[in-house]
Amino acid sequence: MNDLVVRNSAEVARVGKQDFVTFYLADQLLGIPVLAVHDVLNPQKLTPIPLAPDWVAGVLNLRGRIVTGVDLRDRLGIAKKDDGVKSMSIVVEHNEEPYSLQIDRVGEVLSLEDTLFQKNPKTLDPAWRSVSKGIYQLDKNLLVILDVDKLLEIEIDKVEAA
Amino acid sequence: MDDLLNEFLTETAESIDVVDVELVKLEQEPNNKEVLDNIFRLVHTIKGTCGFLGLPRLESVAHASENVLGKFRDGELDVTEHSVTVILESLDRIKEILAGLEATEQEPDGDDIELINRLDAIAMGEDADAARSPEPEAETVEGEIVDPGLGRTIKPGEVSLEELEAAFANAPGPGDDGFDAPDKTPDAALTAKDARGGGASRSLFDRIGGEDAIAVATNSLMNKVTSDTMVNKFFKNQDAPALSAKFTGMLAALFQDDCDTAENVAAHLAQSDGFGDTEFERFVELAKNAFSDCNVESDVCDEVAMSLELCRGAATAKAKSLAAKQSKTAAKNISTKADGGEARKSSNQSIRVSVDVLEDLMNMVSELVLTRNQLIQLSRTQEDNEMLIPLQRLSQCTTELQEGVMKTRMQPIGNAWAKLPRIVRDLTIELDKKIDLNMLGADTELDRQVLELIKDPLTHMVRNSADHGIEGPKERMALGKPETGTIKLNAYHEGGHIIIEIADDGRGLSVSKLSGKAVEKGLATEAELADMSDAQVQHFIFHPGFSTAAAVTSVSGRGVGMDVVRSNIEKIGGTIDMQSKEGSGTTFLIKIPLTLAIVSALIVQAHEERFAIPQISVLELVRASNNSEHRIETVKDTPVLRLRNRLLPLIYLNDVLGFSKAEDHQTENNDDFIVVTQVGAFTFGIVVDRVFDTEEIVVKPVAPILKGISVYSGNTILGDGSVIMILDPNGVASHANAGMTDMDSTEDQDEATDSAGIDRKEIDSLLLFRAGTGVKQKAVPLSLVARLEDFSADQIEFADGRYVVQYRGSLMPIVLADTTMNIAETGRQPVLVFTDREYTMGLAVDEILDIVEEHMEINIISATQGVVGSAIIEGQATEIADVAFFLSQAFSNWLKSRDLSDEGAPSANMSILLVDDSDFFRHMLKPVLTVAGYKVTTVDGGAAALALRDNGSMFDAIISDIEMPDMNGFELAEAIREGGQWIETPLLALSSLASERDIERGRKAGFDDYIAKFDKETLLQALSMQLKIRGDAA
Repeated sequence: MNDLVVRNSAEVARVGKQDFVTFYLADQLLGIPVLAVHDVLNPQKLTPIPLAPDWVAGVLNLRGRIVTGVDLRDRLGIAKKDDGVKSMSIVVEHNEEPYSLQIDRVGEVLSLEDTLFQKNPKTLDPAWRSVSKGIYQLDKNLLVILDVDKLLEIEIDKVEAA
Repeated sequence: MDDLLNEFLTETAESIDVVDVELVKLEQEPNNKEVLDNIFRLVHTIKGTCGFLGLPRLESVAHASENVLGKFRDGELDVTEHSVTVILESLDRIKEILAGLEATEQEPDGDDIELINRLDAIAMGEDADAARSPEPEAETVEGEIVDPGLGRTIKPGEVSLEELEAAFANAPGPGDDGFDAPDKTPDAALTAKDARGGGASRSLFDRIGGEDAIAVATNSLMNKVTSDTMVNKFFKNQDAPALSAKFTGMLAALFQDDCDTAENVAAHLAQSDGFGDTEFERFVELAKNAFSDCNVESDVCDEVAMSLELCRGAATAKAKSLAAKQSKTAAKNISTKADGGEARKSSNQSIRVSVDVLEDLMNMVSELVLTRNQLIQLSRTQEDNEMLIPLQRLSQCTTELQEGVMKTRMQPIGNAWAKLPRIVRDLTIELDKKIDLNMLGADTELDRQVLELIKDPLTHMVRNSADHGIEGPKERMALGKPETGTIKLNAYHEGGHIIIEIADDGRGLSVSKLSGKAVEKGLATEAELADMSDAQVQHFIFHPGFSTAAAVTSVSGRGVGMDVVRSNIEKIGGTIDMQSKEGSGTTFLIKIPLTLAIVSALIVQAHEERFAIPQISVLELVRASNNSEHRIETVKDTPVLRLRNRLLPLIYLNDVLGFSKAEDHQTENNDDFIVVTQVGAFTFGIVVDRVFDTEEIVVKPVAPILKGISVYSGNTILGDGSVIMILDPNGVASHANAGMTDMDSTEDQDEATDSAGIDRKEIDSLLLFRAGTGVKQKAVPLSLVARLEDFSADQIEFADGRYVVQYRGSLMPIVLADTTMNIAETGRQPVLVFTDREYTMGLAVDEILDIVEEHMEINIISATQGVVGSAIIEGQATEIADVAFFLSQAFSNWLKSRDLSDEGAPSANMSILLVDDSDFFRHMLKPVLTVAGYKVTTVDGGAAALALRDNGSMFDAIISDIEMPDMNGFELAEAIREGGQWIETPLLALSSLASERDIERGRKAGFDDYIAKFDKETLLQALSMQLKIRGDAA
């Protein structure tokens, strides 16, 4: 499946309907374009890395590949989890490196009309605005579309600048 | 990019590199035909391909170079430095264009006219150096195709066409003097024939009709020859005038019985091989016909034919020999190819494989290794297992496969050296020096990745050698060295490593220059430098930003120097060492592990996580507990391990990783595992919670985000599937302890080499005792101890806020040797009795341990009151007690309580100035001096002291430290002795440096006496002596 994934997958083209993998992070529903998702994993053994930046949750072994885990909560400014439930993983790729986004639980794959898409409200938290592509209005809640490239790029730049 | 273009770029780049090297070789051996041919061929190919691909710029530059090279090859031009330089320039230009081509898929815009003109100028021989006066060459190049029109050099015995024509022109023709003008009529011919037949002296020439007749006949012959299908091919490459001249010349010579000339020309008649007997016969026939067409009589024609026979040998011989030669050379070529092929069979039998494919293969094999490890691990848990045998086999196969694939990544180190000859050559020209580059072991193989990484460091070092190391020819001669300097590169395998030596026979590293630079950059004080060995000073070149080049040349001196080289080498797990002797040269020794990807690592645990430490850095494992001989001891909160008479600094891995803090560690009753690690020359121990075993792991690079964390050098997947981080010992060390500098590491080295310096250290008698909790052992110089007493507890009384004991008729104050100890309530209380003039004091201790003879080398200076420092005594970390402090404690109190300010002041209140930057020492000494009865003023440095002088203060004596920042003791002394009020004041030096050298230096600077720092007695004695001297003199 990995090989078939489109490379520039983060682009959300506006042609009618889009498919997204949705997931929950502290009761907020977030989504990533289907084609950007390489894997969805059950809780994995994550090796913490001392001295790494806070948003690095650790590393895990994915079929022989070492994948860096990203603590989305830290990245998005949400309080850390303390209920002891392990997080699931959504594996994406950025610059040919695999990253695992640690999420609470995975939702469904939704196929959404473009008409439901809205740009980010101006009052959105800057931390979110920088990594959000926009919001879909669903029946019961709002779906924030995550821009994975931006999310990971910013962090890497920060580290390099340091 | 176009596949074709891609391939062209790769191949051409390779060819250019080869030409580069070959050109330098050619310069050294200008007559090496093989090299010349090779170069010409390569450039020719490049030109051809460029033309084929429609790359005009490249083609024209290559063409211009090819011209010059062609002239080299043909011997028309000498191989000179200048011409080689220009050709090298053209190669560089080609490389430039190629680079542009690679980037944009098109030739970059640009103008090469200037370069091409220069090349053409050389080719034309306008380069005065290059033009050669025409000389006959000694030998032919085998297999050479003879150029038409005799466009090649003339062989010995041959005569050039011009000369031939000249000879022909000069040869007496009809109508010239000395000959009967022959009748050009057939009658005349008849007559000639008759004459000939009758032995008459009329030559055929005349009988034919002389020059004119021959000319006409030649014309006719030309026509016949060119239209005759059998023979025309032999003449078609020659232009008409030349051919005509040949025929004429030959015939004329022949008919005048000048057989030699005729033969010579005949030999060049046919310009291609294959002109054999049959062809010659045809030619003769044609000639005959030609003459008969000119109305020459048939029998004259026959004569012509017969005389032409004389030339048959020559005419066909060439063809035959040419053919023979060619077949011989063809045979030889084949055989050389075969030989060369044989010799280089292994490298000819090769295929091109893309690096990516190899990388993937490597990765796959690595995965295989990991999985194998996993299987083995699993199989260990299951005992009786039929899988064991196949597993073993699998394991073996995997190991072999691994090694095999590793080999594919191996490249000869010669590849890294390939560019060096050219670089050295350019440098020799630029710097006007003579340098020979010897490369041994160029076929030693090492991993491709490693090769990439050391290419630049090697180049850098060779440049350094050439630029700084090797002297100019004149200088070398003056020194008695051969004019040409040598840089030697040597590479060989040794025990899992590849060793690379870079040696030169140049100047070596100048200790004095380096010292100066070190002081300038504040890396060490002069005093410290004086203490260092030459090797230590020379190692300063490894410091960042260090460059003694007076000016930054284009060659080196940018200060990007040896520290970068060293870190690059250490990054791949290698080490670099250097030996240099001033005047003789410098040698660098680089040691690099052969493989990178799969390493043996020790798995350890810190907190709850496991980590891997590369086996290569691990020296040994030590288990320390309170009961064993290895104990972790603290010296002023710094944990150290006593290991075979060394103090090993310890780093807690938990601290480094942030799991704990330095204060948390208890050294009591703990089992600690210490991994003794070595990085470069620095040895230290990493304290871990647990040690597992050694495993072979595949190093995978850390994710880009983690690249900046210095403690990790990679990560890996263990046999059980878990991911662990691989530690970089270097990173761990630097993370933990920023204070560790080269000085410390070289100190470690020095301990080993210190045996020579033993004479500097006196053997002291030391009294070992125990006092208080904390350090197990304290010591005090036995010479200071007056007596050892053992009082019973009830003898010790407490009065006036202090302990006292009645002793020999007076009250002796007792001072506790350690703040954590208590005076014995019952039993005995051991006391060390110290006497100072009339003052006696007792130092209470918990237990007197031993008296030993050892030299006291204070490793760590303490800032605690009552402790001078720490040393290793009897293999244990030991605190050296500061007697002076205790004394002053006892007596200031004593003085206070007894108000003895008048009594016992031994001298008439002399004033002393004490100069020392160390707070501690000032505080320690001041009481000592005060107690001795002096009035003491203290300042913290030379500047402050001089300020006092300028203010008008006067002192009876000045005591100064030597090692001080800003202005050291020597400088202060010199300043004082230069002028001012203190010029006569007794000046005493107080220093921990007490070598002959230092003392001498002190005296020179103006000190009256030089005393070791911890020798209070001597100090006081010297002081009083100096004052007495002055007092007497005054």
